Amino acid sequence: MSLPFKLVLQLNVAVSTSHCGMRPRQGLVELFSTFLAFDADRVQGWVADARLRRRMERCLTESASPPTSDAFWGVYWHKAWQTQTDRLARDHLAAYVQEVCYWVAHKATAYLERSPDTISDCFQTTIAQLDKVLQGFDAKRHFSFKSYANLKFNSLLKDTLRQRRVVDICTPWALLLKLSKRRLVEALQTAGVSADTTQRYVLAWDCFKALYAPAAPATSTRKLSKPNRTTWDAITTLYHQRAAQLTDRSRVSPDTLEQWLMTCATAARQYLYPTWVSMNAPKPRQEDSEFLDALGQLDTDTTLAGLEAQETRLQADQVSQVLQVAIDQLEPSAQTLLHLYYVQGLTQQQIAQQLGVQQYTICRQISRIKRSLQRRLLEWSQETLHNSANLDVLESVSTALDEWLSVHLASSLG
Amino acid sequence: MISPVFAAEPTDIYLTPSPTAWQQVAPLCSRSSRRWMAQIHQLCLDAVLQWLRTDYPRAIATPINQVSYWEFVDGCAVELDRTTHPLRLVFIPSTALDTSELRVAQEWVDLPSWVGHCYLPVQVEPDDGWMRVWGFVTHRRLKQQGVYDAGDRTYAVTAEQLIQDMNVLWEAYELCPQELAQVPLAALPPLSLAQAENLIARLGSPEIVLPQFELPFAQWGALLEHGGWRQRLYQRRVGLPEQWSVRQWLTVQVSQLAEQAGWERIEVGSMAGARGSGDRTSSVLLSRSLHIAEQSYQLQIFPEGAMEQNIWRFELRRLPTSAETDSPSIPQGTKLRLLTEDLQPFDNNEATAQTTVDRLYIVVALTPGEGLVWEVEPTPEGYQREILRF
Repeated sequence: MSLPFKLVLQLNVAVSTSHCGMRPRQGLVELFSTFLAFDADRVQGWVADARLRRRMERCLTESASPPTSDAFWGVYWHKAWQTQTDRLARDHLAAYVQEVCYWVAHKATAYLERSPDTISDCFQTTIAQLDKVLQGFDAKRHFSFKSYANLKFNSLLKDTLRQRRVVDICTPWALLLKLSKRRLVEALQTAGVSADTTQRYVLAWDCFKALYAPAAPATSTRKLSKPNRTTWDAITTLYHQRAAQLTDRSRVSPDTLEQWLMTCATAARQYLYPTWVSMNAPKPRQEDSEFLDALGQLDTDTTLAGLEAQETRLQADQVSQVLQVAIDQLEPSAQTLLHLYYVQGLTQQQIAQQLGVQQYTICRQISRIKRSLQRRLLEWSQETLHNSANLDVLESVSTALDEWLSVHLASSLG
Repeated sequence: MISPVFAAEPTDIYLTPSPTAWQQVAPLCSRSSRRWMAQIHQLCLDAVLQWLRTDYPRAIATPINQVSYWEFVDGCAVELDRTTHPLRLVFIPSTALDTSELRVAQEWVDLPSWVGHCYLPVQVEPDDGWMRVWGFVTHRRLKQQGVYDAGDRTYAVTAEQLIQDMNVLWEAYELCPQELAQVPLAALPPLSLAQAENLIARLGSPEIVLPQFELPFAQWGALLEHGGWRQRLYQRRVGLPEQWSVRQWLTVQVSQLAEQAGWERIEVGSMAGARGSGDRTSSVLLSRSLHIAEQSYQLQIFPEGAMEQNIWRFELRRLPTSAETDSPSIPQGTKLRLLTEDLQPFDNNEATAQTTVDRLYIVVALTPGEGLVWEVEPTPEGYQREILRF
C-alpha cells in the first residue's frame, strides 16, 4: 500500500535556553543517545549514555554515506526494534523522544489545576508509555516517528491522568466494572500472573460483570460496595458453568473468587501507577560483546524510507502551502477556532466557555473545519498523485492533517 | 466532577445527553446488571441518533426498540437513510475507563441480518454525564484483523487498528462507499419450529444467566436472527405475558412491546374519511404505519366476520402525500406476504401489485393459537420480524 504522500514534519521544539535550562540537542549522535536529567522538578540538563553514544557514532562512521535526517534514524531504529535485530534500538528511540515527552508533559501540567503531578512526574508517566508508541507506529501510515510520538504521547498522557483521577476515588468493585478485557489482561501480565491463572481470573471477572451492577446510571458508579453473599454465590455458580463449558472442571469457593477479583483490582490499580522503569537514567554497565557487533546491513526498505523522507521535504512544503491557503480562505470565525485550539492549545471546554456555547458545539465545529481541510488535501493529492479515494488514502490524509495541525500550525503561528 | 478535558481528542465525537436523560426508566431485562447496561445503551442510542440527525435527518434505530438485543449482547444499531447506499452503524457502548480495544459480540459480526458496515466504540462516563465516540472499524477489517475470542465469543481489535477520525467514515461514505462493503456471510441453517420452541422453553429461564454459551453459535444465531423468536425468548426471560396476541390487542389493548413496534388499535368510526371501508365488518382494526421507499403506508389487520371464525384480513395501503389529491396508489411490484412462524410459505400467502393498485390484501383462515409472520417487499424502514398470534 502506498501513501498518497509522505510528510516529514520537523518538530520545532524551539526552546529558549532560559526555559527550564533545556538547550536544544545538536546532531544525530546526541539526539539518539542523551537523556533529560531532572533535579526534583527542574531540568538539570542532558546526560549521555556512553553505550548509546558509541553505538550511534559507529553507525554513522560505518556506513558509506549515512542519512543525515533524524526522521530516517527514527524509522531505522523502529525497524530494528520491530525485527528485534538490535537490543539497543528501544533505548535509542527513548533518547530520541525526550523533548517530545517533555513538552507533552509541560502542556498537560498546564491543564491540571491543583494537581499533585509535577512536570517530572508527568514526564515519567509519559515516557513510560513508550512501548505503546513503538507498537502503534507504522512507517507506512505515519509520517515520522517523532510527530506520531507527539500525538500518541499526548493522548496517552491525557488518558492516563484522567483515568488515575477516577481510579483514585473508585472502590475495587467499581474499578472492576471500568476495565476493558485487554487492560485487565495487561495488568495481570505486568503483575506477573501466569497465563493459565490469568485465564481463570478473566473468566471470574466476566462472571462478576454479568451479575453485578450499579443500581442505575444516575447513581455513582465509583463508590460501589462489595457484592452481597447471594451475588457471590450466583457468581460462583456461573463461574462453574462457564468453566465447565470451557472444559475446566475445577471447583472454587465464593471466597476464592472474591480473592481473585481483589487481585485483579489491585493489579489494575498498580498498572496505572507503574514504578518507573529506570530507562531514563543512563546506567553505566560493563560493555559486553553486544556493542562490538558490526553494524548490520541497512535493509533496503528502511533505506528507501529514508530516501523518500529526504525527497518529500518539498512535498511537505507543498502540503503546508495547500493547507495554509485553505486555512486563509476559511471564515474568520473558523480561523479563530483553529488558532485557539491548535496554537493556543486551549481545550474544547475552555473555548466553549470563552465563546459561551456547549462543548459539543465546539467539537462539531472543529470537526467540520477539519473535514473541509481534509477534502482540500484529498483533492490536491488526487491532482498531483492521481490516486483514487479509498480508506487508506482517506486515513493517511486525516493523519497528515492531524500531524500538520498539531505540529506545524502550532509552531508556525505560535 | 472530573473534567473531560483529558478525554477530548480532536478526532473524538463528544456527546453530552441532558441530565434528565440519565434518569430515564431502565428497559426491562432479566437481571439488574443487564438492565443497567440496557439503560446505558438506550442513552447512547438516543445521543448518537441526535448527533447523526444533524447531518442525516433520516437516521433511525433499526429496529426502533432494541432491548431484546441488549438482554443478550452489547451494541445498538443505527441506519442512515440513503436508499442507494444504506449505511448501518453498530455502536458499542462501554463503561471502561480505557480505550485500548473494541470488543464486538460475534452476533453483530457473523449474523447476516445483524451485521453492520462499521462498528464504533463509545466510551460512557455516567458519573460525569458524557460519552465519546473514539473511532471506527469496518466489518471487513474487523473480520480480517480482529482476534476472535472463543471464551466470550467476541471479535477484538486494538485501538491501533481502529480509524480514529470519524471524518474518514463520512468522506468514505460519500466518495467511495464500496470501501465500506461488508464481507459476504453465509446464512445460518434455519431451525425447525420444534427446535426453536425447545430452545425458547429451555433458555427462557432467567436462571440461565448467559444463554448464548449453552449451545453452538450457529443454533444460537439462528434463534436470535428470527426477530419473532428473539422477542419470545426475551419475553420469557423477563417474565412478560404474551405480547403478540392479536385477539388481545383487539379486545383488551395493544401490548406495550407491540405499541413500541408501532401497532395501534383503531375504532373504525373514528377514522375520518376512511375509504373503501364498505367491506369491513369489524368495528375495530389494528394498524401500523410503514415507510417504504420514502412513502408512508399503513398495514391493517382485522377479522373477516366474527372473531371466533378466525378468518383474518391483512391489508396494505399507501397514505396520500400532502401534494396528492386523488386516492394514492401502490407501485407495481410491491408485495405483501405472510409466512408461517418458521418462515414457510403456504397457499395464497402472497399478494403482488401486477400494476399500480389502490391496495394489497390477503385473507387467511387460521387455527386458534397459530402464529404468522408478515413481510412487505421492498422492505420497510427499520423492519423487524414479528410473530403475530391469532
